[in-house]
Amino acid sequence: MAEIGRLARAPQAWPWRTSVTLLRAAIVLAALLSWQMLAVSGLLYRDVVPPLPEVGVALVTLLSKRDFYWNLWFTIDEIAIGLVLGGVAGLVAGLVIGSSQFIAKAFEPYLYYLGPTPKIIFFPVMIMWFGAGAGSKIAMGAASCFFPIALSVAAGMRQIDVVLIKVGLSFRANPWQMATKIYLPAMRQPVINGLRLGLGVALIGTLLAETKISNRGLGFVVIDAYNAFNMPRLYAILIVLFVLAIGANALITRLGGLDEIKQK
Amino acid sequence: MAAAVTSNRVMPVPQAAASAILVVEDIVMRFVTAEGGLTALDKVSFNVAPGEFLAVIGPSGCGKSTLFNIIGGLLGGYQGRVAVGGEAIYGPHASIGMVFQEESTFPWRNVVDNVAFPLEIAGMPRGERIDRARRFVSMVGLDGFEQRYPSELSGGMRQRVSMARTLASEPKILLMDEPFAALDEQTRLLLGDKVLQIQQQLKQTTLLITHNITEAVQLADRILVMTYRPGRVKRIVDIDLPRPRSSEIVSSEAFGRYVAQIWSDLRAEASRGMVDDESRVLHAGDHGT
Amino acid sequence: MSAAAVTARRWAPPLVGFGSVLVILAVVEVLIRIGAINHYIVPLPSEVATSLVRVIFEEDILHRFLITAWECLAAGALLTVFGVAAGIAFHQARLLRLACENWVAAMASAPLVLAYPLFLVLFGRSALTIIMMSFLVGLPPVILKTIEGLSATRRVLINVGRSFKLTPAQQFWKILFPSALPTIFVGIRLGLMFALINVVAVEFLINFGGLGQLINDLAERYDLPGVYAAICFVVLISVVFFVLTERTERWLRSAA
Repeated sequence: MAEIGRLARAPQAWPWRTSVTLLRAAIVLAALLSWQMLAVSGLLYRDVVPPLPEVGVALVTLLSKRDFYWNLWFTIDEIAIGLVLGGVAGLVAGLVIGSSQFIAKAFEPYLYYLGPTPKIIFFPVMIMWFGAGAGSKIAMGAASCFFPIALSVAAGMRQIDVVLIKVGLSFRANPWQMATKIYLPAMRQPVINGLRLGLGVALIGTLLAETKISNRGLGFVVIDAYNAFNMPRLYAILIVLFVLAIGANALITRLGGLDEIKQK
Repeated sequence: MAAAVTSNRVMPVPQAAASAILVVEDIVMRFVTAEGGLTALDKVSFNVAPGEFLAVIGPSGCGKSTLFNIIGGLLGGYQGRVAVGGEAIYGPHASIGMVFQEESTFPWRNVVDNVAFPLEIAGMPRGERIDRARRFVSMVGLDGFEQRYPSELSGGMRQRVSMARTLASEPKILLMDEPFAALDEQTRLLLGDKVLQIQQQLKQTTLLITHNITEAVQLADRILVMTYRPGRVKRIVDIDLPRPRSSEIVSSEAFGRYVAQIWSDLRAEASRGMVDDESRVLHAGDHGT
Repeated sequence: MSAAAVTARRWAPPLVGFGSVLVILAVVEVLIRIGAINHYIVPLPSEVATSLVRVIFEEDILHRFLITAWECLAAGALLTVFGVAAGIAFHQARLLRLACENWVAAMASAPLVLAYPLFLVLFGRSALTIIMMSFLVGLPPVILKTIEGLSATRRVLINVGRSFKLTPAQQFWKILFPSALPTIFVGIRLGLMFALINVVAVEFLINFGGLGQLINDLAERYDLPGVYAAICFVVLISVVFFVLTERTERWLRSAA
């Protein structure tokens, strides 16, 4: 009965929107309240869960000092270079693998099964090869993002509708025209998705490496706060990191989505 | 007016090669599969005269799509010869334009950019190729849709875009593989009208692969009936219906007689195909695959 | 073409792939021996191979493997139970789902592992830290896939249930849940993968536990061939785990 009623009514503006916002606000509020209560209750060892105002102060202190931005820039630099190196290598590898069934069957399994291994365990080797400075961090980032990008590009090439390739061939497009006018436009979505994943793992790889051995970068800020048992500062830097990471992810998704809108 | 069903030669006599624009000679195509070998086409030969509309009809599994890919130059490894204007061809050729069965418009380009694609490949400057493309967009009846994207169009409209794109390359021979297979019957009849119109206007030599008898009789000057695998030419039927034609012809007596005649040829082949399919499914479980 | 030729075609690519790896290792071996590559940075592949045996016997690898395995299992059990339960809860309570699903998705893209110093403070340098981190990292995919699987139940199946006048509980357990199981398994497999990666990574980072700690240990001892050998071993384990979960999922999928 209710079904029929629902069908008969004209579709109205999403009635849930306000309820959802209210619920979200309620959840956030409840979380903050329980945090605060836990903090002042004395149940846990001091400062393990610091009172909210302290975290707030630490956050402001963190963001207002110049060296935070210096460390931020340093980390962004490392991640960017790692992403470019790993991304280009991944793109080339993906194109090669995606273009030939033989090569794919021969080499793709290695990428596929090496992909989900924890890359951080390679870090000692990276330090050996590239030193304890930025080099090893960049190498970690590059090694981390190589795999998802290569696999996405290879998969992207394979999901291209065969008939589109046939159209290009039937009009005798040369290899360059095939690549630029057919392959790349047809692969846009998978490639963007691969980039998004690649950014995520490059970020993690680089930052984890920084926490292990470094005297610069955001990872260093994290481990420094930990070593000093400056909990409010630790929470503050983690909050900032999470916001940045989620933001970067959302940005790439949004950029990829703009394409979708045009094509849909 | 009742037209006598004219001579049906059991063994097709090829047209004098000199006047033919497309010569297909003794095509044999064999495939290797896990179960052994498969002969898709066995000595298929026929000619197409300039300006003629030839339909190739056959049951599923008769090798028509293989033939399509061979003539279009996308498939090699066959024996025999395909020649256009006397010259043997070995790969995709400028004189042959292909229209595929599946959705083949580029989803990331709008209509006019899709149609201009072959001109872009050939290096034509942008202004000129957009102008040229617009002409063909108009020819298929899609005026006003130039800036739209394929996702905004219906299936029939997208096939028209594909057709316009191929026509824009002005091929000597238009080769189509069941372009209307995915469309409903009414759309198909109306598009058939459009194709006839265009063909008359351009005097375009056309080779249409289809499994739809009504479509073949509606559009073609001659129909080539193929056997089930291995595909051979079973019969060539001259369609003596008046030109210019329109979709109203489907209700005429002569039309009905042609359809009946071709069906009687096809039915045996189609049943063989069905029996073959069923036995394959039946025995697929035997090997525990 | 004969059956032998078909077999050859099937095995040629993997053989070429494996052969290339061997060739590369051989080239590296030669380059190190002639001094082109510094053997303090890259140990001889042959040495790494022998170290593999040494590491297995000297470093009590079975014990370490079991530690890592039990950490994975614990995290896996937690994320399965809580993930599926949360997914069901979100599916049933529409408002909750609309409010929180995006948050869970964001959590999936958040670099949770970076918070390991925080977990160190909360739980100490212990297995609990490792298990908690891996549990949280593996949780989002399970929740999201559970929701996805339940919502994607084909309309016609729901209508079949309705036509038989099933109660909401019956509808859920006899139609929705079974239909969602394949997708739920995909989610569990993803969650397990993330959990495993995290277990080893955190073991390495906090220098506690099984295999991850071994690598750290060997690195601090400057046992270079040992480090390479241990890394190979861990990679092998992770590959085996990955293949096993894949096969299990596929088998469950065909049975479901």
